[in-house]
Amino acid sequence: MRLAARRIAPGRADATALVSRAPFSFVGGADPGTGEVLDDATGVRGERLSGRAFAFPHGKGSTVAPYVIYGLAKRRLGPAALLTERADAIVAVGAILGGVPMVDRMDLGAILTGDRVVVDADKGEVVLPDVRARSVVTAFLRNRGRILVVRRSERVGSFRGKWSGVSGYLEGDEDPKARAAQEIREETRMRGARFRAAGRAMTSRDGATAYVVHPFLFDAPTRTVRLDWENVESRWVRPEELDGFDTVPRLIDVMSSALAAGGLRIRRPGPPSIRKG
Amino acid sequence: MRILVALGDLFGAGGLVRIASAHVSGASYKMIGDPGLEFLEDFARTARVVVPTTVNPLGTDLRQWRELGVPPDFAEKQARIARAYEAMGVTPSYTCTPYELRRPSFGEHLAWSESNAVCFANSVVGARTNREGGPSALAAAIVGATPAYGLHLDEGRRASLVVEARTKVSGFRASLLGLLAGKEAGDDIPYFRGFSMDEGDLKWLGSALASSGSCAMFHLDRVTPEWRTARTKGLRTVYVSAADLDDVRKAYTDGTDPDLIAFGSPQLSTEELARVARLIDRRPPRIPVWVFASRTARDASPDAVSVIERHGGRVLADTCLEVTLLEHRFGTVATPSGKGAHYLPSLCGQKVILDDVEALLERYA
Repeated sequence: MRLAARRIAPGRADATALVSRAPFSFVGGADPGTGEVLDDATGVRGERLSGRAFAFPHGKGSTVAPYVIYGLAKRRLGPAALLTERADAIVAVGAILGGVPMVDRMDLGAILTGDRVVVDADKGEVVLPDVRARSVVTAFLRNRGRILVVRRSERVGSFRGKWSGVSGYLEGDEDPKARAAQEIREETRMRGARFRAAGRAMTSRDGATAYVVHPFLFDAPTRTVRLDWENVESRWVRPEELDGFDTVPRLIDVMSSALAAGGLRIRRPGPPSIRKG
Repeated sequence: MRILVALGDLFGAGGLVRIASAHVSGASYKMIGDPGLEFLEDFARTARVVVPTTVNPLGTDLRQWRELGVPPDFAEKQARIARAYEAMGVTPSYTCTPYELRRPSFGEHLAWSESNAVCFANSVVGARTNREGGPSALAAAIVGATPAYGLHLDEGRRASLVVEARTKVSGFRASLLGLLAGKEAGDDIPYFRGFSMDEGDLKWLGSALASSGSCAMFHLDRVTPEWRTARTKGLRTVYVSAADLDDVRKAYTDGTDPDLIAFGSPQLSTEELARVARLIDRRPPRIPVWVFASRTARDASPDAVSVIERHGGRVLADTCLEVTLLEHRFGTVATPSGKGAHYLPSLCGQKVILDDVEALLERYA
């Protein structure tokens, strides 16, 4: 699988991935003397950065990070490459000081810890030689503020028993929007669903397969649904209720992307008003 | 140069712009530790600055560290950091108020780090600088240029939020308004209206604003040099009352029994030093007082310094409140500084009492 990215710091690397799902601070997040990950929120505490293609959403916290990255690189304890969704000035400067290749605008959902990763920052490209990409459409039907979710049957090829949107594989050069409309007709027998918006594609992994999901939002004229063999159960839910469901990976992100493209937002509790420290 | 190009690409800069001066953060050993010391010593072997460059406060006053109870290892490493900067040709000013040392001109491009200095230079002087990090400001000082994006461009200097005060704002309340507005603004450029203020108060407004928010600039209606081009039409407006300001003071106050009264952050100017000395002389406090000033202000104020010292206080130069080592001696600090109140809990593990200078001196006299 080939992923597009943007060069932040030049260079190439062929390394094993280490993926943090949480934003990362090099100050406090890693031991400057050993390169061991100390932050629990990463999900990879105890692993060493040394020689790894280290992937994390974006940097956070202290401005001393560039010096830490420099020190790790100098002692050959630092990462072989840095892969991020969003580069910030602090980590970018650290990558330059340490001579570590770095890219951003990555879809980190495609990468798992342990994957072999070939990074070419100069070409703005990241290749996962052992991972196969499959394109999928997921359509969210919306009716009076609620969204249709369906539970996948035991007869489908992947994510059996998990909750999802109305989904299907994309074959060849097929138009994703047309495929989404087709899946709605097949899986719900609903007529007259109207296309509203297409979200940004995002990737989620199942073993050696990376599903590149194209999210869509459709307005449904009715809540009447007749399922075919691919799904066994359906519910109309408010988006913020999704946390309580056992879903396919990243369903909340995929739904957010579709809703955002349609100018809608999932409401979540806000932060308190005055914060200290 | 590679740092500047990478940052320019990252932020979509069209090119580099020549700078008149640079100001570098990251000089306190407490803040940058061994990784920073190692990098600066390596870098200082070959790098030399090509524009006038100042640097932020150190982690202690190198002339008084023994009396302050600072461990010798800390002082020794701090002195090595200072020597590394000096070897690069950086002015040994160790100040967070470089605008009081050498004031930039209107429209001049700069590469400054240190949030309060950035905010003052952009807002009060009308010079142009982004919020640089320590290494990027140092890189710009060595190259003599910085990527032209953000606040270097006219369109990056327009207001993005209106903050209207419906109460009188001056003196200590400038810090409270700054703390409140920074939280509202995030990285917006607030346009204040409903009050007028002199430059002395603008320093405290901006430093608090740049602490609780990441504001690099603000405008004040009819006062700051670029208020006419700020473009406020259609912006969201936040209204601030006297009760809101008092709530800020209470929200930042979690201590009851201070071990130290601290003035500064940012460092006091000559005039501010004289005023604090007068007030201390009138109501000498019964607990230790540390006053942070730039070396220039301290050297220019022998009378004020001797008044403060006579009453048991200290005037510390080359360092400042939240980057200095004080957690080895104190647990609760009383201060009128909004910036200090914001950072003392996280950077120094302190409880805080935030209040007006006069109120503090009266209470602890």
